[in-house]
Amino acid sequence: MNFDAIRRAVRLQGLTPASVLPEASGGRLEEAAIRPARLTEGEALQTIAIGRGEEWPGSVAYLDGIQRSEILGYAGSAPLFGATLAAAVRERHERRLLTVLEARKSVVLGRPAALAAAGDSISALETIPLPDTEPGHPLRDLLNAGEAVDQSRGALEIVVGNQYRDRCQGWLVVDGALSVSPRWAADPRMVAISKSHSILPFEGADLEQYLRLPCGHRSSVYAPASRSLAPVRAWGLRLWPWEGKDLLYGLVRVEVAPENGISEQANTISRWIMTDRAPVSAPDRRWDRLLYGMYSVEQYLKARG
Amino acid sequence: MNKQDPLGRVVATELKPSTPHQFHFWTARESPIGIGAIVRVEENGRVVYGVVTDGFAYSDLMTPMHAVIGADGDPVAAGAEATVRAEIRLFTAAVLRQMPEEPLQPVPLGSVWLASDADVVLALRMDAYAGGDRPTGIPVGLYAAGGLESPVYLDCDFLLGPEAAHLNITGVSGLATKTSAVEFLLSSIFQTFPTHKGSVAAVCFNVKGPDLCFLDQGASLSEEDERQYARLGLLPEPFQDVHYYAPLKPDGVNLNSLRTNEALAANTEPLVWGLREVLDYAEVVLNRDDIDAKADAFIDFLAERVVGREYHDEMLRGKPFHVQSFADLDEFFRSIFDFMEAMGRGSEVWRTHHVATIRKVRNRLSNISTRSKGLVTDDGASNDLPWGRFDDRSVHVIDVAGLDPLAQDLVFARVVSKLREHLERRDLGVDHVVVFVDELNKYAPADGPDTYVRKMLVDLSERGRYLGLVLFSAQQFRSQVQRRVVGNAGTGIYGRMDTDELAMPAYGTISAATKIKLATLPKGELMLRHPHFTQPIFVKFPRPPVLNSREGIERFPPAAELPFPDAVARQMRRLDRRVSSEAVRELIDGRRDDDVRRALAATRRERPADPFAFFTACLGRRVLSEVPAPRRGIPALKHADDAYGG
Repeated sequence: MNFDAIRRAVRLQGLTPASVLPEASGGRLEEAAIRPARLTEGEALQTIAIGRGEEWPGSVAYLDGIQRSEILGYAGSAPLFGATLAAAVRERHERRLLTVLEARKSVVLGRPAALAAAGDSISALETIPLPDTEPGHPLRDLLNAGEAVDQSRGALEIVVGNQYRDRCQGWLVVDGALSVSPRWAADPRMVAISKSHSILPFEGADLEQYLRLPCGHRSSVYAPASRSLAPVRAWGLRLWPWEGKDLLYGLVRVEVAPENGISEQANTISRWIMTDRAPVSAPDRRWDRLLYGMYSVEQYLKARG
Repeated sequence: MNKQDPLGRVVATELKPSTPHQFHFWTARESPIGIGAIVRVEENGRVVYGVVTDGFAYSDLMTPMHAVIGADGDPVAAGAEATVRAEIRLFTAAVLRQMPEEPLQPVPLGSVWLASDADVVLALRMDAYAGGDRPTGIPVGLYAAGGLESPVYLDCDFLLGPEAAHLNITGVSGLATKTSAVEFLLSSIFQTFPTHKGSVAAVCFNVKGPDLCFLDQGASLSEEDERQYARLGLLPEPFQDVHYYAPLKPDGVNLNSLRTNEALAANTEPLVWGLREVLDYAEVVLNRDDIDAKADAFIDFLAERVVGREYHDEMLRGKPFHVQSFADLDEFFRSIFDFMEAMGRGSEVWRTHHVATIRKVRNRLSNISTRSKGLVTDDGASNDLPWGRFDDRSVHVIDVAGLDPLAQDLVFARVVSKLREHLERRDLGVDHVVVFVDELNKYAPADGPDTYVRKMLVDLSERGRYLGLVLFSAQQFRSQVQRRVVGNAGTGIYGRMDTDELAMPAYGTISAATKIKLATLPKGELMLRHPHFTQPIFVKFPRPPVLNSREGIERFPPAAELPFPDAVARQMRRLDRRVSSEAVRELIDGRRDDDVRRALAATRRERPADPFAFFTACLGRRVLSEVPAPRRGIPALKHADDAYGG
């Protein structure tokens, strides 16, 4: 059925029609929740125009990682998974991106018993045991393996990010959150950009205002109610017009160290990020939120296998 | 980047696989690779040489719409993006050679290097002929890419025979590529043609302007040209042994050529033919409608029984005919017609030849002497090329630029036929002759009637190499030339080409990128096909070591057309510098022009020790004119009784 007529009717009813749910905008759907944040800029949530885009000052680099997993076999009914993890930093020189750091590793995941049963066949690889507190269920193990691979990749990114920071003091843009590492959370030259919004910082009218940021606008700066102990500052930023598509379209969450969480710096960093909208990272389906630098790192890592 | 570092890497996908004849490779954005560059691929002991035929660049942009979106529709912003998209330089190369040759396999996915001097030798298979004890390489130009510059050689066995032969040059007019390339190549041949292959000479037809009129005059070359000559192992010197032949103008004494400057007179002489020379090639000058079995039979009769012999026919006249010239022939025809008129009604046939046929042949032949006046003389005296006395490394230029097309055909047909006859008998004086013909599309057109000249060119291109008779031809549009003629040219040279010409099916095997390069080729560069090269190669060549037409005309402006006495004096002085112009003028004063021309032709032909004395003798005793006294009238008779008498 073609729902266009319904969309028009919805609009007449004063609702907001939408047509596209942005790819991967939900993150881990099982974690979707509202975790009210504390505003650190103003008394009430504001919608702030950031002005025209600006280029990043000095050198800027992008850190991202990829993961790929597949099933290797079963020990009885318990699955064994193999995963390849990779992370890299690509630095921009004279408008061109060059890889300056790269790390890669392969791991095997499974319940401890399954790993033990595999014996020497996996002895050359790092192993990651999956929880075995519950009775074995192959699909539950699959979900656990996915989570473990995510964490492992995150850990690898932290290692690579720290290596880069040890050798260079330029701006480093990472995919996701700074709060995963206390060092990152305190780094005044790091910016994290999250494409997913499974955890939202406001509710009610504030949430509506947050999700209806116009293009080229940011929200007030807030302190996310992070599970991690590393405090950061964040704000929402609309990269592309969402009207006619979806509330989450073109919306990213920007995370910075607390010292960058002041209004002027938030505006400046937002302007830098807006400049990075182009070139768009199409044909990636997340191109409305995925910066080209990040896309370039992913493409590089995928090309390297 | 180090010169020893690879420049790229072969890539193969299902859609663009490597094959035994083609491969693809990518390079950095700033690589020196371009269309026509020769590259080497090495992998696991296998070496493949290729020449770049196409190039591609693209970014990771999937659709132009994303570029518009990224720039908010502003083209200025599109160029100012903070990050430049990832992009690729992908090249396609055609395989020149694989080593080892067997088994013939797809090109391996190895590293790619720019070819070095040694690589170029191997890639073009020049190792088989450019070195060793008996090299047969003829330098043709320099292959240049990425700062490297390597001499390229043609194999003379495949250029001048016997393995293959002939060369064809095509390119637009006005860039001097065609003429310059031939002049340079002839110079190269003359300097490097190996002695163990025998002797060589060249016969060039100058068909337009002063193109080939200054082959014996050196040009001042730039340092870059001289460096290129040195790199090719050649000396930038003009041709040493050049002979020019040009027909006379209708006045029979002035040369019909732009090479009439007094300073160039020493090796420029008239080309004059008589009836005998023309009649053997009557078929050339008679159009297709003229040639029927009856006319042909009558021409054969004239050639076999009448011309150059004593012919006696009591019915025509009592004394025998001695037909040596067009004038004699006309007298012979008049006798036939007088006889037939005398015979009256009913006698329309003379010796089985119908009067209409005889009249037609007479009209056509007399037309030759009219249209080719200056080349063909009425008096039978001829001045021709030195058949049987061609010297090694000599150049004979026949200037037909000022001739009627019919006369050009005649010259061309006769000269080539004579060359073939002498080479068949091995008595020309040299073993190989290069015949250079420009405007080939005029003499051997793809369309149009199958003329004698075209048939002769086809024959030359198909069988000439066995005789050592080699055709170097040039034209603006190769597609307009008879396919068999250009198809038999073992070596092909392409200068800058017209895009319409490149769109013809004949160029279907050339890649689009190579066509673009051909359409924009600078002066002094050309594309080369040769039997040893499996793919066309781009080379550059230095300016020829001789004056070009423009410089030549400026330095040696043509002499003004002289009055008859002065022109005769100049020709006499050409034979003997001691002869005074004044003496000649005084000698011929009051003489009939025809008598003077006849005496001059005889002197030219005989080349006596004392030309002036011989000329004087030929003119004979002056017949003084005398004014007859007025005749006295006969007085009228007077009669006194005549009433009307005066």
